[in-house]
Amino acid sequence: MVTTSGNPVGIVAEFDSPASLLHAAESLRDAGYRRFDCHSPFPIHGMDRAMGLRRSPLGWIVGMCALFGASGGLLLQWWTSAVDYPFVISGKPFFSYQAFVPVTFGLGVLLGAVAAVIGMLALSRLPMLHHPVFHSDRFARFSDEGFFVSIESSDKRFDSTETRSLIESVGGRNIETIAD
Amino acid sequence: MNSANPTSGHLDPEPLIAGNQTFRSVTERVCSIVEAKTPPIWFIAIGLAGSLAILLFGLIGYLVWEGIGIWGVNIPVGWGWAIVNFVFWVGIGHAGTLISAILFLFRQRWRTSINRFAEAMTLFAVICALIFPSIHVGRIWAAYWMFPVPNQMSMWPNFRSPLLWDVFAVSTYFTVSALFWYVGLIPDLATLRDRAKTKLRKIVFGLLSLGWRGGNRQWKHYELAYLLLAGLSTPLVLSVHSVVSTDFAVSILPGWHTTIFPPYFVAGAIFSGFAMVMTLGIIARRIFRLEDFITVKHLDKMSKIMLVTGMMVGYAYACEFFIAWYSGNIYEQFTFMNRAFGPYAWAYWIMVTCNVVVPQLFWFRKVRSSILALFAMSILVNIGMWFERFVIVASSLSRDFLPSSWDYYSPTIYDVGIFVGSFGLFLTLFLLFIRFLPMIAMSEVKGVLPQANPHYHQPAGTHGGSR
Amino acid sequence: MELHETSYKLKSPSLVGRNALMAGIIGSLLSIVGFFLNSPQFFHAYLVAYTFWLTLVLGALFFVMLQHLVGAVWSIVLRRIAESIMSAVPLMAALFIPVLIGMHDLYHWSHADAVAVDHVLKAKSAYLNTTFFIIRSVVYFAVWFLLSRALYRASVQQDSRFDHIRLAKMKRISAAGMILFALTTTFAAFDWLMSLDPHWYSTIFGVYVFSGGLLSSIVAITLICVFMRRRGVLSKEITHEHYHDLGKLTFAFMVFWAYVAFSQYLLIWYANIPEETIWYHARWIGSWKAISLLLVFGHFVVPFFIMITRPAKRNLAMMTTMALWLLFMHWVDHYWLVMPTLHQEGAALSWIDVATMLAISGLCVWFIWRRLSANAIVPVSDPRLAESMEFTNV
Repeated sequence: MVTTSGNPVGIVAEFDSPASLLHAAESLRDAGYRRFDCHSPFPIHGMDRAMGLRRSPLGWIVGMCALFGASGGLLLQWWTSAVDYPFVISGKPFFSYQAFVPVTFGLGVLLGAVAAVIGMLALSRLPMLHHPVFHSDRFARFSDEGFFVSIESSDKRFDSTETRSLIESVGGRNIETIAD
Repeated sequence: MNSANPTSGHLDPEPLIAGNQTFRSVTERVCSIVEAKTPPIWFIAIGLAGSLAILLFGLIGYLVWEGIGIWGVNIPVGWGWAIVNFVFWVGIGHAGTLISAILFLFRQRWRTSINRFAEAMTLFAVICALIFPSIHVGRIWAAYWMFPVPNQMSMWPNFRSPLLWDVFAVSTYFTVSALFWYVGLIPDLATLRDRAKTKLRKIVFGLLSLGWRGGNRQWKHYELAYLLLAGLSTPLVLSVHSVVSTDFAVSILPGWHTTIFPPYFVAGAIFSGFAMVMTLGIIARRIFRLEDFITVKHLDKMSKIMLVTGMMVGYAYACEFFIAWYSGNIYEQFTFMNRAFGPYAWAYWIMVTCNVVVPQLFWFRKVRSSILALFAMSILVNIGMWFERFVIVASSLSRDFLPSSWDYYSPTIYDVGIFVGSFGLFLTLFLLFIRFLPMIAMSEVKGVLPQANPHYHQPAGTHGGSR
Repeated sequence: MELHETSYKLKSPSLVGRNALMAGIIGSLLSIVGFFLNSPQFFHAYLVAYTFWLTLVLGALFFVMLQHLVGAVWSIVLRRIAESIMSAVPLMAALFIPVLIGMHDLYHWSHADAVAVDHVLKAKSAYLNTTFFIIRSVVYFAVWFLLSRALYRASVQQDSRFDHIRLAKMKRISAAGMILFALTTTFAAFDWLMSLDPHWYSTIFGVYVFSGGLLSSIVAITLICVFMRRRGVLSKEITHEHYHDLGKLTFAFMVFWAYVAFSQYLLIWYANIPEETIWYHARWIGSWKAISLLLVFGHFVVPFFIMITRPAKRNLAMMTTMALWLLFMHWVDHYWLVMPTLHQEGAALSWIDVATMLAISGLCVWFIWRRLSANAIVPVSDPRLAESMEFTNV
């Protein structure tokens, strides 16, 4: 089951349940592996800890962008209504901050949401239409019912036989070498 | 989270999804709808809906050519069905984001079965809604004046006007809902990509799914993004209909100017939105045999939400009426007496019956478990909610401060045609959606199956999900 | 303070109850002195302190009913604390008597001579009159008392033996209770607070008063948990996950309060009708402006930016500080609602304000603490209790 074309870049192994995938992640983490990933059809509760991942920094990115959107929105309204073309409307002050709240809020949310999506994609390195794991025959099942571990050979701890036996010892099946 | 069933008397969480589904069966069930040959009924349905949509665009063309004089608007009722339909559609567009955002934050896991098509419905309802303010300005080629773009008069839009808040609120809402919907779709698009048999499908779903690999290093950001989008959408969904309500409430017109309007409009929006989700959900589960996914439990919970929001609307009606009397203001008092007993009394009582009286049937478990009753009630609720907006608009405007300008508003055939046509557009978009995209969020449904929990123990003698 | 291991009852009652009662008595004595020295100040100060606590107690009643209706699991471990707070309704009914005594000082519409020359008040006199006011108050308390007692009793009876039928009953009481609750709290807010300025009206006013009360009840639950935790009670059962969720609720209801407050303000500011703006105008005169701004920033803006972050909600010291601060802000809110009718020139803090607050707070804490130590402090036999303790945030 070894894919032969090109340089080997890692291995992919299949597991039969969320629990065994979680267990495999813990074992890899404890063995000191860093460049591995666990693929599943849905997010698995507790996997971040099992893999030893830090919390995503996305919250801060979104918060900053939302703040930027809101302050930009307020600035826009102040400049257009009170500076560039002041115009008395229904006797209200030029800078009617009360009336500017809805648009300020809306623009804050808009930029926050756009940042959430773009930030999520950037942090996950997406879009990435080509990836070596797709060369595997079985890997496509990850989006259906399969649970997979992929380990990159660039990992410092990677060793083609040792890693393979570690995977086997925690219940990995159908181990494939992936080439690019 | 899982509410106990009082009569059956046990507290074990009941399965959210029926029929002993496995991960595979969920994929199969949902994807087969998209991958199978198009059923003939779909062609008939889209033929009908599409014709109505064409009617809509034809009438809009005529409107642009001829001007809004073809509508029934008059002086003093300068705002007719266009604004009524706008508020009606925006309101319907609130359930999708409510389900995907607020129920998510409240950890209501039953939402996974209905959130995808409710979100799609939201988008399409907001598209329908956006048509009305755009065409009711009359000279729609100048609609770009509503955006802060430099123009030849070097003027800026009036940010002190609630109508401009609307432009920002509704377009923000549309964008954020679309993003939220798309983010939710990514893992499912990857499923369709991995199952694709034809070259075309491989390319299209390959591009749309952005190369999703379902790795936890992606899920980690994905889940947080979803949470953040939910957190941002929750105040957004409340603010959008609040802003819509300010179109009326910042004025000094009795019947429009009352401080309860923002939360009252939000409750009404959720009420009508859930009614529409229920209408479409009942049809979809029947046609595509999705009874295991959209179970009677789901309908039960939705009807409870409709009961609650219906009562909030009833609370607002009562509150308005009481304060109109309590204010001691004769204009306020006249407006409300006029609503209930004046020329639009028929509309007022349709509204009260459909929005306050009919939902009381939701108290009965029998009603909540009868698909037919729920279907009928969900339609009645939306009729009632349309009339609510009509009553607000027409009754207050038609009785001006100056009795000599009083008039009665009646729609023309063009009013009716455009409204009916907007349903055509809505259904066309919805039919396209259920034909080409997974109408149930597969990855989310898989995530709430019992075997998705890493601490799940397989019952003896059976094999769980991954076989 | 210690907890009995199986019954989950507080074993050695701490000094909390006694100290609170002492404070309550001292406060009451001082308040009586205040009453003789300056009775209008006393009654207004009393109303501030009274509605502060009443809305908090009713907020807890709402919280309990909401738990039953949505079948929430995570908060079961907190339910008894909320139930103990809501069971202070009888005390609140007794404490309402001074408000009735002070009616003439508090409510302009209770002066027959003033009504006689004011056509607006004359038009309202079918509703705003002494007799009907008392009847309504009795009805409100009857509703709240029956609801809170039924729910508290059923829950305590549950402790000895779990019974699904009883749980279903609590759910049914809560469903009907919500409707009664909405109506009674709305009209109570209209009667006791809005009619201080009898010409003014706002349809959202009931929701406004309710939102502040709900926020302060969540905050009070947090404080009780932290207080017991410091003494080693329920420190394992109520985890950081629960505080995180309480923090989220605090944040959400704080934003809800701001939303309701802003809705009312924006619509009145924009329409600019004198009979409505007068209410905000009165709160923008002299030092009232500072109090209004304090509410905007202290009740919303600053806590918003602090509480929005995840670490703040999981940090007990921060949560405690914010809880105390928001409780103080709730008092400022009610001071701002009531006092401008008395001090029209500007806010004028008096020692009587402190004395009445001390009196009612002392009595309320004493009463609530007695309830808390009378029974198990968690619904011990609820089968979902274990799940509630184990829950973690995603």
